[in-house]
Amino acid sequence: MNRVRFMAETHNNESKHHHRDYGIQTPGTKGVPGTKRYAMAIDLRKCIGCMSCVVACKAEFGTPLGVWRTWVKTADKGAYPNTTRVFMPRLCNHCDYPICVRNCPTQATYKHEDGFVLQRYNRCIGCRTCIVACPYNARHLVPEKRTDGNLPTLVVDKCTFCIHRVKKGLLPSCVQTCVGGARIFGDMNDPESEIAKLLAKEKVTVLKPSLGTEPAVFYIGGDFEIMSENKSYSNRTTQLKEEFNTFKRQHPGDAFGDIVEGESTMYWVKKNMVDFVAEIPHKASGVGKIIKKLIFG
Amino acid sequence: MSDYNRRDFLKVGATAGAVAACPSVVQAMELKLGGADFHQLRTFHEREKAPYLCTLCPYVCGGFSYAEKGEVMKAEGNPDHIATRGKFCGKGQASLFSASDPDRILSPLKRIGARGEGKWAEISWEEAIATVAESVSGALNSDVNSIVFNEGAFREGAGARFMDTLGSSSLIRSRTPSIGNNAKQTALKNMLGADFAYPDLEHTRYVLNFGSNIMETGMPLASRLTDGMVNNRLKIVTFDVRLSHTAGRSDEWIPVFPGSDGLIALAMANVIMQEGMADTAFIDAWTNTTSADLAEQLKAYTPAMAAKASGVDAADIRRIAIEFARWKPAVVFSQNGVSSHAGGIDAESACTLLSVITGNIDSEGGLCLPRAFDIAMPQPVPEKATDSVTLNVTFPFDVKTGVKKVSVLFNHMSNPAYSSPATSFWREVLKDKKLIPLIVDFTPFMSETSEYADIILPDVVGIERHDVASSPTALLPWASMSMPKVAVRGAAKDVRETLKAIIEAVDADGSRGMTQYWAFADAEDWVKQSVAATPELKDGYKKLKKKGLWPLYGTIDLNSRKIVKDGAVVKAPYGTYQAAGFATASGKIEVPTLAWQPNTRLAAIKDSEFVLSTYKVSYHSGSKTTNLKLLSEMWHSNPLWINKEVAKRLGIADGALVRVTSEVGHLVTKAWVTHGIHPQVVGISTSVGRSSYGRVALADPTAIATFAKEEQRDADLEANLWWRDLGTNPNDIIPLAVDPVSGIQAWNDTVVSIAPAKEGDTYGDVRVDNVKHLAIYKKSIG
Amino acid sequence: MDESVIISNAFHHAPWGTPITIYFWLVGASAGSFVISSFGWVFGIKRYKPLALTASVMAIFLLMIVPVLLIWDLGQPWRFFYLMLPGYWHSTAPMAWGSILILSYPVSMMVYSVFVIKGNVTWARITGILAIVLALSTHWYTGVVMELNPGRFINHTALAPLLFLTGAFISGIGGLLLVLWVQNFFRAAEKRISWTLMSEMAQYMMYGIVFDIFLLWLEFMQTLYGNEGEYMGHDVVLMNLFSFPYIWLEAVIGLFIPLLLLVSPIKHNKVVILAASAMVAFGVYGMRIWWVMGGQFIQTFY
Ligand SMILES: Nc1nc2c(c(=O)[nH]1)N[C@H]1C(S)=C(S)[C@@H](COP(=O)(O)OP(=O)(O)OC[C@H]3O[C@@H](n4cnc5c(=O)[nH]c(N)nc54)[C@H](O)[C@@H]3O)O[C@H]1N2
Ligand SMILES: Nc1nc2c(c(=O)[nH]1)N[C@H]1C(S)=C(S)[C@@H](COP(=O)(O)OP(=O)(O)OC[C@H]3O[C@@H](n4cnc5c(=O)[nH]c(N)nc54)[C@H](O)[C@@H]3O)O[C@H]1N2
Ligand code: SF4
Ligand code: SF4
Ligand code: SF4
Ligand code: SF4
Ligand code: SF4
Ligand SMILES: [Mo]
Repeated sequence: MNRVRFMAETHNNESKHHHRDYGIQTPGTKGVPGTKRYAMAIDLRKCIGCMSCVVACKAEFGTPLGVWRTWVKTADKGAYPNTTRVFMPRLCNHCDYPICVRNCPTQATYKHEDGFVLQRYNRCIGCRTCIVACPYNARHLVPEKRTDGNLPTLVVDKCTFCIHRVKKGLLPSCVQTCVGGARIFGDMNDPESEIAKLLAKEKVTVLKPSLGTEPAVFYIGGDFEIMSENKSYSNRTTQLKEEFNTFKRQHPGDAFGDIVEGESTMYWVKKNMVDFVAEIPHKASGVGKIIKKLIFG
Repeated sequence: MSDYNRRDFLKVGATAGAVAACPSVVQAMELKLGGADFHQLRTFHEREKAPYLCTLCPYVCGGFSYAEKGEVMKAEGNPDHIATRGKFCGKGQASLFSASDPDRILSPLKRIGARGEGKWAEISWEEAIATVAESVSGALNSDVNSIVFNEGAFREGAGARFMDTLGSSSLIRSRTPSIGNNAKQTALKNMLGADFAYPDLEHTRYVLNFGSNIMETGMPLASRLTDGMVNNRLKIVTFDVRLSHTAGRSDEWIPVFPGSDGLIALAMANVIMQEGMADTAFIDAWTNTTSADLAEQLKAYTPAMAAKASGVDAADIRRIAIEFARWKPAVVFSQNGVSSHAGGIDAESACTLLSVITGNIDSEGGLCLPRAFDIAMPQPVPEKATDSVTLNVTFPFDVKTGVKKVSVLFNHMSNPAYSSPATSFWREVLKDKKLIPLIVDFTPFMSETSEYADIILPDVVGIERHDVASSPTALLPWASMSMPKVAVRGAAKDVRETLKAIIEAVDADGSRGMTQYWAFADAEDWVKQSVAATPELKDGYKKLKKKGLWPLYGTIDLNSRKIVKDGAVVKAPYGTYQAAGFATASGKIEVPTLAWQPNTRLAAIKDSEFVLSTYKVSYHSGSKTTNLKLLSEMWHSNPLWINKEVAKRLGIADGALVRVTSEVGHLVTKAWVTHGIHPQVVGISTSVGRSSYGRVALADPTAIATFAKEEQRDADLEANLWWRDLGTNPNDIIPLAVDPVSGIQAWNDTVVSIAPAKEGDTYGDVRVDNVKHLAIYKKSIG
Repeated sequence: MDESVIISNAFHHAPWGTPITIYFWLVGASAGSFVISSFGWVFGIKRYKPLALTASVMAIFLLMIVPVLLIWDLGQPWRFFYLMLPGYWHSTAPMAWGSILILSYPVSMMVYSVFVIKGNVTWARITGILAIVLALSTHWYTGVVMELNPGRFINHTALAPLLFLTGAFISGIGGLLLVLWVQNFFRAAEKRISWTLMSEMAQYMMYGIVFDIFLLWLEFMQTLYGNEGEYMGHDVVLMNLFSFPYIWLEAVIGLFIPLLLLVSPIKHNKVVILAASAMVAFGVYGMRIWWVMGGQFIQTFY
C-alpha cells in the first residue's frame, strides 16, 4: 500500500479519538485526502553545513541580526581519531497541532489550510506567549531596529515556509539555495510529489515527537547527539557558551528574561527590570506618536 | 588546458554527447527552483531579473540578481546553470549586500594624515586620475618596471593588460586567477596538459580526498559530492590534519601528519601496482612511461615508509589503496592541504598519479579534463610584457633590500597586509614612503592594505559589475554573464574604466600608442567585445544577456539535478583525449620522475612543537567578506584548534588564552580543545581577525570611518550587532616560506610552539620581530 | 565514545523576564489580600470586617501596577486592547482569558469596595462573591498561562495553579499584615486592628505555608524523577542557576523559617509575625522568578 495513503487512513482513524484541533483554526492536514500539506524533509546525509540556507533566508526577509528563522546546528561526535561532524538545520516545524497558535491570544498566529503556520503582523501585540509555547524555539521577537524600517518590528516572526514564494510557484528560499540538496519541500499529501516519495522510502524522524505537535519538518538521518535538548545545553563548547553570554549582554534592552550563566542570577533579574523601566519613556513616546496619528491623522 | 578541449568541445558535445533516454528522473515538479522573485509582502510585482555572476571565489557561480526600485534585493543561482544547478553558497547569497555596505568607499579618497593613520579627504575623479597619471608618466620616462601592479582575483586580466600597455613587467599576484594554486596547477599542467582537473563526483563510487576541504571551499563540486553520497552511495575517505566539514562528513577521516600526503599517495600507487590492480593497458597506451617501469620506480615507496612519515597505519594505507583501485570508478581530489607545502608539486603529482594508474582519467566518475572556455579580451591586445606569473610573497622583502625599485604600486582586489605571510613586514614596507612613493588602491573597501594607500579609487562591487566568465566546474563548458541593471552607488567606477582613464591621461596626445588597447566605451562594452572576441561565444551574446548562460544544453531536472533535454538526460562526453591526445609535448600523460623529498622543515619538528595549519571556512572568502554582517554573524572568531589529549598535557583548558609562538614572534588567542585535530597540529582559520575593513569586521558598531556616508547607514547593524569577538590574524606570525619550485607560500609549513598565556597577555596580542622576518627571507635567497 | 560537543547553534532570548515575574507576584498578593477582605463581608466573620477595606484597597492598588507591567512589556503596547477585541479574542488562549480577568477583577473589587464603604451587606456580599471568584481566577490563570505549554517542562504541571494560588494566599496575608501594621499607626486607637486578629491571620498563613511546602515537594519529586526536560529543569535551573530564588529565597526564607517561627512558642510575638510576613511575601517572589525565568532559560538554547 502506498505509504502516504496509509498514513492518511491511520490519521483518519486516530483523529476520531484525539482532538487536538481546538484553537488552531484549521485542523491538521497531514495525510488527509483532498487537502494540501506542505512539508519539508531535510536529508541530513546531504547537508554540508554551508549555511547558505541561513543566509538566503535572512536575505529573503531582511531578518535582523540576532534572530533567525532558520539556523544550522553543528556537533562533533566521537573521540580522536574517530571523530565525525553532524549538521542539523532547524526551522519552524509548521506543526499540525501547533501549541503556538492555540495559545496566541489575538489569533495573530494561525494555521493556514495548506499546512503553513503563519503570522498576521497587524494583529500581533508582541506578547511573546507563542514563543513561550513553541517547544522548538522557532520564534523570535523582531527587534525595534531593522534595515528596512518599513517592515514589521516588535512583533513576533518566524519561518513562513516562504508562502509568498510557494504561492507564486517557487520553492522556499532556503530550499532554492540548498547546496547539498538536503532540503526537499512540497505537498506531502500528493503521492506524486518528491517529498511524498522520499517520506515513503526513507526512515524519518521529527523533533520531540512525544509532544504531539506533529511536525511537518522531517529529518532523514537524524542524530540523537544533536537532536537532544539536554545535550544541546550541556555539551556546548566553551566558545559557544561565551558567545551566548555575549549575545545576552549585548541585547539592547527591555522585557527579556536573559540571565548570564556564571554571573549572579539576581543581578540579571534586577538588570532586566532596570532596562525595562528605562525603556518605558521611549515606548511611551512611541505610543504617544501613534495616538497623535490616530487622532490628528 | 588543451586547446582541443576549449575550442572543440561544443562539437564534441553535440556528437558524442548523445541524449540517453532516462524518463524516470524527469517528472513534473510542483514548484520551481527559481528564475523569478517577489517581495515577502508585496507579491504583486515581479522583481526585475538580471544575469549575475558571483565572483567571490574562483568558482564564479552563475545566477540572477533581482531588483526592486533600482536596488538589488536578492541574488540566487540560475536554476538551469549546469555548474551550480541553481545554488549559491552563503557567500554568494550575501554578496549583494556589498553594494549597501555602510563602510563602503563611495568617492575617490586622498590620504591626508600619515600612512595608516586613517585620515582621508574626498577628491574628485579628475584630481585623482591626474595625480596617478603624473606619477605613471614620470616612471615611464625613467624606469617603467618601477610601476608595480599587485593583482588579486582579477580574472578578466585588465590589470595585466594595463601593465602590458605601459610595458612594465612588474606584475605581481597574490593568487592564481583560477581554481587551485600554482603548485597544483603546475603539477596538473605538466602531467595532463591542463591546469585543472574536474573530479566527476556525481558519478563516482569512491573519493580519495587529500587535503581538500571541498564541502567548504568548492560549492559546485560539493553539491555533486552529496548527490553521489546518497544516490551512488559513494565512499569518501579524507586525509586532512583536522576535522574540516569535509573530513567530518566523510566515511573515513584519516588524520595525517602535515606534508606527508604525497608519500602516502606514492605508497598507495605502489600497492596498486604490486597487487596487479592497475590499469596497465591505460598506462601503457596513454602515458609516456610503461607500467613495468612505473611499478619499478614505485617500489621504493612502501606503505611502511609512508606510515612512518605520516603516522597513518600501513595497513590502512594498503586497505584504502586496494579499495580505491577496486571500487571503480574512483577519483582523487587534492588541494591546498597537499600543495601548500614545500614540495607541493611533487605531492600533487603523486596524488594525480593514483587516478592515472587506475585509468580513472576523463572517464565517467573519474578525474576529468577541464571543460571551460578561454574568454578573450577586447581586441587588439597589447604585447605581453611578461609571461610568467610572479607571486607577490617576496615583494616587500625585495623592496626593502633594494632588489626591487618601486615608484608606483597599484593594488587591486588583493589584501597582502592581511592575507600574505609576514603581514607585519608588508605593513612596514607599505608604510615607508621612501621605498614606495605612491600607493594606489582600486578598492570598494578599506582593507588593511588600503590603509597605507595614498590614493583610493573606489571600484564597483560584484553586483554592479559587468562580467563574463567561464570556469571548469561542470562536465560541459559554459560561460556566464553579469549584466547589472542597477546604478553604481556613489562615485564608484569600474576599475577597467578607471584604468582606461589613467591610460588616456598618460597618453593624452596618443603619441605613446596606448589608447588603442583601451578603446572600449565602458565595462559593459568591454564584456561585449570580450564575447565577440571569443569564438565559442560570439553568437551567444544575446542569449547570455537573457539567460545568463551559454550554451544552453537543456534544463536542470529539479529532482535528479541532471541536465535534461526533451525528456532525456544529456550525457557529457568522456574520453575526450582519445581524439586528440593530451595537451602535453608527447600528447600523453607525462608522469614526472618520481621524487620524494622529505619536507625538511617539518621532518625536523620536535615533540614539543606543532604545525600551524591555517584554512578557509565555508562562511567567508579570503578577506573580502568579513564586513558582510550575515556572514560574520555566523563566523567571526577563530580560536586555536588543539587536540584534547595534548591540551590536557599542556594544561590548556577549553577557552583558555594561549600563546602561539613561531620563529618570528607570537600571538595570543583562545584555545578550542577538540577531538578533531591531529595531536601535532594546531589550527587557526583565516578571514577574521581584521584590523580594518569596517564595523562588522571589527565587531564594533561605533567604529564609523570618516568617509562613511550617512545614506549607507544600517540601523540593524548599529542596534543589533551582538558579537564582540573578532578573532586573530595568523599571518603576522607566519614567516615567509616560499617553495622554490612552485613559487607559492608553503602556508602549511609553519612550526609553532604552544603554551598557556603568560601574565599580562591579552586576547589578540601580536608581537612580531620584523628583523627575524627579514633574516628568513635572506636565508631563503641564499 | 567521548561525548558529542555542540559547536554551533542559534541564540535565543528568553521571551519573558522580570516584569512578568513581578506581575505574577503582585497579582498573587492581590488575590491573597482580597481573600482576607472577603472574610468579613462574604463569609460573615465579623471580626474581619474592619480590615476589609484596607485589604481590598491594597488588592486594587496592587492590580493597578499590573497593567503598567503587562502593557509596557508588550512589543506593541498600544495594541493591548486587541486582547479583548471581538474577532481577535482567542478562546483557547489562557492569555485571552487572563486579559478579561485582569480587567474585570479590579472593577468588581471597586464595586465591592463601594458597597463596603456604604455598608450595604447584601450587595457587598454578592459583589464580593463575584470578586473572590475573579480574584482566584486571575491568579489561577497566571499559573495556567505557563502550564499549558507542554514544551516548557518545569511549568507543565497540573500543580501550577495550586502553587500559584497557595503562594498568593500566603504572600497576600504577609503583605496585608505589613500594611495593617503600618496603617495602625495612622488609625484612631479604637479602630486599630488587634494583634490577636493579626496573629490569627498569621496562623492561616502558617497553614498555607505547610500546604505550599507540600506542593513544592511534589514538584521537586516530579522534576527529580522526570523526563529529560524536567530533569534538566531540576538539574540546571532549580538546583543550579536559580538555586538562590528557588532554595534560598522561596524555600528557606519564604517557607521554612517563617514556618518555624509561626509554630514556635513565640508565634504571637509582634516582631515574629511581622518578620514572618515579610519573609513570606518576598519568598513567594523567589518562586515567581524561577517559575518564569527558569522556565524561559531552558528554552533558549535548543
Ligand atoms: N569558503 C571559501 N571557499 C573558497 C575560498 C575561500 O576563501 N573561502 N577560497 C578559494 C581559493 S582562493 C582557494 S585556493 C581554495 C582552497 O581550497 P582548499 O584547498 O580546500 O582550502 P584550504 O583551507 O586552503 O585547505 C584545505 C585543507 O587542507 C588541510 N591541510 C593542511 N595541511 C595539510 C596536510 O599536510 N595534509 C592534508 N591532507 N591536509 C592538510 C586543512 O586543514 C584544510 O582543511 O578555496 C577556494 N574556495
Ligand atoms: N594564513 C593563510 N593565509 C592565506 C591563505 C591560507 O590558507 N592561510 N590562503 C591564501 C590564498 S589560497 C589566497 S587565494 C589568498 C587570498 O588573498 P588575497 O588575494 O589578498 O584576496 P582576499 O583576501 O580575498 O582580499 C581581496 C581584497 O580585495 C578587496 N575587495 C573586496 N571586494 C572587492 C571588489 O568588489 N572590488 C575590488 N576592486 N576589490 C575588492 C578587499 O580589500 C579585499 O580585502 O589568501 C592567502 N592567505
Ligand atoms: S514549531 Fe513552534 S512555531 Fe512552528 S508551528 Fe510548531 S509550535 Fe508553532
Ligand atoms: S506575540 Fe503575537 S503572535 Fe505571539 S502570541 Fe502574542 S499576539 Fe500572538
Ligand atoms: S522556508 Fe523560507 S522562511 Fe522558512 S527557513 Fe526557509 S527561507 Fe526561511
Ligand atoms: S544550505 Fe543545505 S547543505 Fe547547506 S547548510 Fe543549509 S541545509 Fe545544509
Ligand atoms: S562558490 Fe559561493 S562564493 Fe564561490 S562563486 Fe559560487 S556562490 Fe560565489
Ligand atoms: Mo587561493
